[in-house]
Formats: sequence, structure tokens, C-alpha cells
Amino acid sequence: MEAIKPKSNRAAVGSLQCDNTTFNLLKVNDFVAKAIRDRLPEVLVVNLCSSPGSGKTTLLQETGKRLKGKINMAVLVGDPETERDAIRMRDVGIHALQIVTGGMCHIEAQMIYQALDHFDLDGVDLLVIENVGNLVCPAAFDLGEDFRVTVLSATEGDDKPKKYPRMFLTSELMLVSKSDLLPYVPFSVEAATLDARDINADIEVITVSSLNGEGLDQWCDWLIERVSEKKSKFQEA
Amino acid sequence: MHEISLVRNIFRTLKEEFPDDFGQIRDIYLTVGILSNVQPIAMENAFQAVLEDEPGYRNKNLKVEVLPILIHCHYCDKNSLVEQYRFICSYCGKPGKDVIQGEELLIKKVEFED
Ligand SMILES: Nc1nc2c(ncn2[C@@H]2O[C@H](COP(=O)(O)OP(=O)(O)O)[C@@H](O)[C@H]2O)c(=O)[nH]1
Ligand SMILES: [Mg+2]
Ligand SMILES: [Zn+2]
Repeated sequence: MEAIKPKSNRAAVGSLQCDNTTFNLLKVNDFVAKAIRDRLPEVLVVNLCSSPGSGKTTLLQETGKRLKGKINMAVLVGDPETERDAIRMRDVGIHALQIVTGGMCHIEAQMIYQALDHFDLDGVDLLVIENVGNLVCPAAFDLGEDFRVTVLSATEGDDKPKKYPRMFLTSELMLVSKSDLLPYVPFSVEAATLDARDINADIEVITVSSLNGEGLDQWCDWLIERVSEKKSKFQEA
Repeated sequence: MHEISLVRNIFRTLKEEFPDDFGQIRDIYLTVGILSNVQPIAMENAFQAVLEDEPGYRNKNLKVEVLPILIHCHYCDKNSLVEQYRFICSYCGKPGKDVIQGEELLIKKVEFED
């Protein structure tokens, strides 16, 4: 068997006939994303993105406790392998389903659409999708969400917005997480905010800690407001 | 990164669009915007790897063109190039995120053998 050779520059070969076409490789994804929006006119959908380990699952556990009795939250959580995060959510009483992506580095709209067939959203006001930990690939995949929220933890360094611009460009909110660690690490919330706003002037920023509770009320209020906006838009229509 | 799945997506798309002439496809021109996060060299290597894997796909070439980011400004109705990921209009300095180029992930052109 021939070994796979990495490619260098190679000249074009053969005599050719041209055909001008344009096929968007994400058109299937975008089509399914629209179908998800049409399917959930009353449920607020939030796509929660970050690097691995920035604290998404812990944040959602804390969020679930605080939203109890106010709004009804459900979570779809994507990971390349294992059911662990869904179990962690259910442990604190959150209605959660795991999407095992089979090694894939991002969730695609098709996976969400299929998961909806097996996930009862009766009475649910807010559906959070915990994306696979990765700031690159998930940025390109619309999951039919209303809002994209990116979590950046204090231990990751404040230079991440400029390194992963598309994620911050397409997010409405940046959560700076693990703020309890800010005194111990060289991370400037101000610098991260400036860089994120260089890319996306409208991005909102909330600093949170799941450990000491800082910012969690503000984050929950943000969610509650977005849910009520979505509901009134539905009722008007 | 998901280059391999993108390459499989390219083949799936082309088979759907050209069910009869798929075998005659020689050169595939891909256009990727900087914001697509696709690395041309990684894409070309993934393409080679898939070719090795699927004997039916031999003799095809992939050419990747990268497009810079352009935004449109609503205040001065002009387009400007985004450099260093600073999304501001180069005419009036106002921030903008109306991206009109730079997010592409397109098969732009396909050339067939005679
Ligand atoms: N100090 C501190 N650690 C946290 C905080 N939130 C999460 N962690 C820890 O960070 C690690 C990863 O958290 P997890 O929620 O699993 O992150 P995920 O991969 O983004 O879902 C765990 O060891 C958590 O205990 C926080 O607010 N402060
Ligand atoms: Mg998690
Ligand atoms: Zn302008």
C-alpha cells in the first residue's frame, strides 16, 4: 500500500472543461438549523461554547438551581465520548440529554434535530446546548440557537478573543468564568473585554464564578429576560 | 479540526450534484474565508488521505483559495478590509460586524476531464 504523502504544491493536470458552480458546504447544516428554529418558536435556545474545562457544566448546574421556580431549563450536552455531563446535570435535577458526538469536535444541527425527537420539551422555556469544548469548529455551525454565549475562564488567558475571533464575532455574550481565581492568575477582564469588543462591538460581558456565586444572579437575569422577550415575540406573532 | 469530515462533505455534495459525471471530475476549487477557520494545507492533506482511502476517488485535485474578511459599513455605505481582527470601518472608524466576505466554505468551481 502506498503511504499517504503530505501535499506540497502540485501543478494542474489534464485538459479541462469548466463548469461554474457554487456549493455551500454548510448549506445542509444551515437548512437544518432553520428547521430547528421553526420547530421551537416558543423555547429560547442558547448555544454555550468554550474550550474544554472552562466550567460550562458546573455553571449550568448552578444555573439550574437558581432558575428553579422561575423558568424551566433543559440541557442538551455534547461531548466526544461519555454520558458524564448529562449525569452531572440530572444529579442536580436538571432535565438533560447527552449527545455523544462519536469523537467529533463540534455539534451539528442535524444532531440537535435528531435529539429533539427523543427529548421532551413540554413546558420547557429555555434549552441550553452545551457544545463540545472547542473554540474553533463549533463557531461555524449554526444550531438554530437564538443566542450564542461563549465562556472564557480566568485560567485560559485573556488573549483568547483575538485567537478565536469567529467565536466571539458570533456570540452575543461572553462569560468570564472562574472569577474566584482572578487574584491568582494574570488575567485582565478589561483586556479580554477590549479585545472581544474589537471583534464584536456589541458583545456583552458578565464575570461569573460557580464557586463563590459572583455574577450568577446577573447571568440568570439575562436568561430570564431573553426568555420573556422570546415569549412575547411568539405571542405577538 | 474537522477537515476529514469537510472533505467527505465535498464528495457527498459533488456526487449529489453530478451523479453521472462524478468520475470525470478532475479539479475541485474550494473557496474558504479566513473566518471559516479552515487551513488550506490541512484541508489538502485531509483530501489526500481520503483519496488514499477510497480507490474510486483517485485522480482528483483540490485547490483552496483563501478570502480575507470584508465588512460593510452602514454609515458610509462602503466596504473595508478587516485587519488584525479589528472589525471597524476603515473610512469612518465605526465598529461593524456585517461580514460580506470571509465566512465562505464553498465549492467554487469544478473542472472535468474531457
Ligand atoms: N475555581 C473554580 N473552578 C471551577 C469553576 N467552575 C468549574 N470549575 C472547575 O473546572 C473544572 C472543569 O469544569 P466543568 O464544568 O466540567 O467544565 P466544562 O468542560 O466546560 O463543562 C472542574 O474541575 C470544575 O470543578 C469556578 O467557578 N471556579
Ligand atoms: Mg462539560
Ligand atoms: Zn464607515
